[in-house]
Amino acid sequence: MLIREELCVGCGKCQPYCPTAAIHFAGLVSVVDQDICYECGTCLRVGICPVDALAEHPMVYEYPRALRKFFSDPSATHKATGIQGRGTEESKTNDVTGRVKPDEAGIAIEVGRPTLGMGLHDIQKISQALARAGINEIEECNPIHSMIADPATGTLKEELLDERVLSAIIEISVPKERVPVVLQTIKEVSKEVDSVFMLDVFSTLGPNLEIQPDILQMITDAGFTWRPNAKINMGLGRAWE
Amino acid sequence: MTHSLHREGSIDSLERDFVVFIYPARGFNYKGNQPKVRHLVEIIYQNEPVNMIATALRENLYSEVSHEEVLDTIENGDETTRVYSCFKSRDNIKQLLTEFKEADEGISIMVSGLVDRVRDMAAEVGLSPHTINLSLGIQGNTKRLPPADIRQFTTMCGHGVVSPHLVRDHIRKVKTGRTSSWDASVALAKPCACGIYNPYRSKEMLDDLTPVYTVSRW
Repeated sequence: MLIREELCVGCGKCQPYCPTAAIHFAGLVSVVDQDICYECGTCLRVGICPVDALAEHPMVYEYPRALRKFFSDPSATHKATGIQGRGTEESKTNDVTGRVKPDEAGIAIEVGRPTLGMGLHDIQKISQALARAGINEIEECNPIHSMIADPATGTLKEELLDERVLSAIIEISVPKERVPVVLQTIKEVSKEVDSVFMLDVFSTLGPNLEIQPDILQMITDAGFTWRPNAKINMGLGRAWE
Repeated sequence: MTHSLHREGSIDSLERDFVVFIYPARGFNYKGNQPKVRHLVEIIYQNEPVNMIATALRENLYSEVSHEEVLDTIENGDETTRVYSCFKSRDNIKQLLTEFKEADEGISIMVSGLVDRVRDMAAEVGLSPHTINLSLGIQGNTKRLPPADIRQFTTMCGHGVVSPHLVRDHIRKVKTGRTSSWDASVALAKPCACGIYNPYRSKEMLDDLTPVYTVSRW
């Protein structure tokens, strides 16, 4: 985003809307710090500017800066060059797709959430740690997969490393017996990342919403706990195509 | 994206906070889903949602857009529309799930909320939930995070575009009498592009927090 200086009246109303505090006063007007802005578009979308001084950055749809918008603006519908989609449907349609089977578990690492955002070098730290541990099951439909230059090492494409986004999700599906090694790897790399990440584990359920006991034991053994609220697929979907 | 999974706050507060998704599956039930999604949204409207967005329009419940316009956009749009909604009452969710089951439209439905409550409701309605997505919380450099009492607002927007600075700004406005806790909550819901920010819960939390907060600047 940018603020057109010639229009800005310096009211500062846009400043608190920026999740990453990229907007600040410079003299009598507000300006956007282009290094910090991750192009989520929130300031523009809420229509807070009384004089329409907010505008999109001229490079916002140019690779690699386009990644910022693509990963950060929830309403963005375009695709950045060479990157597929924004994420997958993961557990939300598992009753229809059967993507994660009863003997498997899905693990999602939501880097940059909540709100902090992150440099893509944080994604690389995690993807390299996963690669070192022999974990190569990153979802092919997830945009992270196409950002990796070398799957053997988990190294990202070099031109991406200076980019900054609100969040990106590394999604992995593994046989249940590999959950401990994935969680242990994540626990270790969590000490190295500059930002934060939210961690999810999803699996199919038994009768009466019984969570698979071995999954819970693996989570406990890895030194994690689960929150009392969760996201639950109610089993009402079916395929017809 | 797993954006309804990590809502923070007290158990008591989360008792009045449920998120419901209507989610067609690409390649499995996309074709001709529009009238089915429209029917499910009609059911949502009849069960007192506290917020809702259809991705075809991206206007939340507190915008100027009418229900008819939302429904028409869904029915006349393409097959990619997903619907995100939020409820504050267990009774409303139970009735909603009862009507969803009877409608039998075959579209995936997700409910985010306290696991024990969803388990009870599923049993009462006669549903067999298929998959659970558990949150193992926030990891990494957590000392950079805003405090937990601010995060209970910001995590109601799973994408994280409700800024902690905006929360502090509105606490200050409520505290100084420049706005009400309800108007502040509707304003805080506006940046959330998925329509799952719960303004009723937000109002309760603002009423609790405002007396004890001192905010000199956002």
